[in-house]
Amino acid sequence: MTDIGLGGRTRLDRDRLLRLLQDYGVHLGVAVLLLVNIAFTPHFLSAENFRTQAVQVAPVMIVALGMALAIGSEGVDLSVGSVMALSTSLLSLYLGYGMWIALLVAVLGGIAVGVANGALIAYIGVQPIVATLALMVAGRGLALVLLPQLKDVRDPTMASLGSGDLLGIPYLVLIAVGLALLVAFVVRRTTFGRQLLAIGDSRPAAKLAGLPVRRVLILVYVCSGALAAIAGVLATARLTASDPTSLGNLMELSAITAVVVGGTPLSGGRVRIGGTVAGAVLIQLLTATLIKHDVSPSWTQIAQAVVIILAVYAARERGRR
Amino acid sequence: MKPNTFFRRISDRTSGHAAGRASGRVSATTLLAAGLAASLALTATGCAKSEDDDSGASGDSKSGASEGDAGQVASSPSAGADTCVIGDYGAKKLDLKSATVGFSQSEKEANPFRIAETASIKAEADKRGVKLLTANAQSQFSKQISDVQDLIAKGADLLVIAPLNSDGWEPVLRQAKAKHIPIVTIDRKINAAPCKDYVSFIGSDFVEQGRRAADRMIAATGGKGEVAILLGAAGNNVTTDRTKGFEQQIEKKAPDLKVVFKQTGEFAREKGQQVTEQLIQSKPGIDGIYAENDEMGLGAVGALKGAGKKAGDVKIVTIDGTKNAVRGIVDGWIDGVIESNPRFGPLAFQTLDTFTKGGEVAQDIVIEDSAYTKDNADSDLGKAY
Repeated sequence: MTDIGLGGRTRLDRDRLLRLLQDYGVHLGVAVLLLVNIAFTPHFLSAENFRTQAVQVAPVMIVALGMALAIGSEGVDLSVGSVMALSTSLLSLYLGYGMWIALLVAVLGGIAVGVANGALIAYIGVQPIVATLALMVAGRGLALVLLPQLKDVRDPTMASLGSGDLLGIPYLVLIAVGLALLVAFVVRRTTFGRQLLAIGDSRPAAKLAGLPVRRVLILVYVCSGALAAIAGVLATARLTASDPTSLGNLMELSAITAVVVGGTPLSGGRVRIGGTVAGAVLIQLLTATLIKHDVSPSWTQIAQAVVIILAVYAARERGRR
Repeated sequence: MKPNTFFRRISDRTSGHAAGRASGRVSATTLLAAGLAASLALTATGCAKSEDDDSGASGDSKSGASEGDAGQVASSPSAGADTCVIGDYGAKKLDLKSATVGFSQSEKEANPFRIAETASIKAEADKRGVKLLTANAQSQFSKQISDVQDLIAKGADLLVIAPLNSDGWEPVLRQAKAKHIPIVTIDRKINAAPCKDYVSFIGSDFVEQGRRAADRMIAATGGKGEVAILLGAAGNNVTTDRTKGFEQQIEKKAPDLKVVFKQTGEFAREKGQQVTEQLIQSKPGIDGIYAENDEMGLGAVGALKGAGKKAGDVKIVTIDGTKNAVRGIVDGWIDGVIESNPRFGPLAFQTLDTFTKGGEVAQDIVIEDSAYTKDNADSDLGKAY
């Protein structure tokens, strides 16, 4: 804006390049990582490997979808990891009635946390980061009260949900892709999606325009809670055990990273579902690459930090629009 | 660059809705939110029916301490080891039966080790008819400090502490010193002078556990091939010690056995499973996996099952001795489990008893951990916690 030193034309090109990089950098990153792995990682090009990566990324991706909605409304949902823990506790407690009822209860638990989050934010006016932080602490606590320690899940339907497949594609991946398409549709084509983006862009303006700000905000956090609960159920099915002490730990950070790396600005008003999915895949591939090459765990953390910093840098550039 | 606009935008928004209408409706809505959370908690347990309700298998994890023969045995300390008597410490003799013992647990009883540890202390206090005060620091060190201070204030004559950290105990130690309260620490050591600031430390030798796991792995693989290590949480002395012992022993006894993969599973089953999935993709020929706790080992078993491997294809050795892992040996998936015995009750109270009667106790009491293999897994399953 005020860089006088640069000539008009070069500046335009640089801007366009930067914009392109911001919008498609994550896809570029995924492509680069794939090529690097194909070249340097033994046994990388196998169906079994891609299956493993897809199955591992599915829960993160589902949580990130809900997080993208929250961030799009200029908020954030820190409670997603705890919701996963809560959902696994509830699932274990109600599995005696059969998987479907247990699943329903688990998702209802996630919705209840979402309602609490949304009510705190929309009605009391608590900052999203504070409101969801409160529910993050409370949710994990509640999960541990309900189920104090790891418990095995022996239900055969759950086991087949975790490891079964349809035409070679694991159920987990099918569900994740289905949810991604659904959320993308909601954001792009429904009134709710447009209202969400309008509120994210400017809440006062949305209010003045007569949008149902509170209802939409509550619905946003309900979606996020429900998606996190589904992710918790799927993670439980995969592990065939309910482990509320560790399930979903630091999940909120992975999800935020996926969303931000995927090009959704933290300032709200814009949601990129395709980018979010790619962001989750990018982090999964990065972790997988480092683990497969047996890089020391401390370096893995540093590499993840670098990706986050790059993403935040990009987000800052976007904030200037 | 216009950082100002960015900040102004933020501050506009914060003052916009946070401060604006916070006051009036707060109490009513807070009540509503609290009520919502409470009702959720109530309904959640109200008509719950878990899988175990039918089979009646629940609660077997809690019976840990009642197993008669499962208490700890101290590995006999060498003759020259430092000991402590009551005169050196500056406390008064007293009768344990009429004393009050305070127990401070470090982490919440959410994993089998902590559950069995607390249960064992409680069971032994019951057995001896000693009055026991307990506190749990929920993994917060500042809470543990105030917990112990509370225990002292409530009139504990003797203290058993499972420390969360090794450092930072000075305020508590000074307070205990002023009241001449003997302290025994279990499972982790504190950095202070034994027989001056505290009486004894009772615990396992984690390096030795690593060495014994290595012996087991060498026996299982025949001392040749490639093995992977699933590390515990980073920056934890249990992780470093168990890794050190394992690697030293492998290097010394079986140079043909190569450690080709070392990644953290953070002591959790899910992470152990994910890391093992990556491992068997990139190194399908791996011969053995050493998991630094049972949970990660069980995660590895899950990953191997998912990848279509058969029991015994990859040798797994773990440390801890939980029921699930010992069952894994019976099923043939796990080759050996090195025990880390959490039942400190009998030994801790015996130490306090001897000490308060004026007897001599060792400053470092290293307990003897047993091990589970194919030979004893079935018969000793009851001893696992």
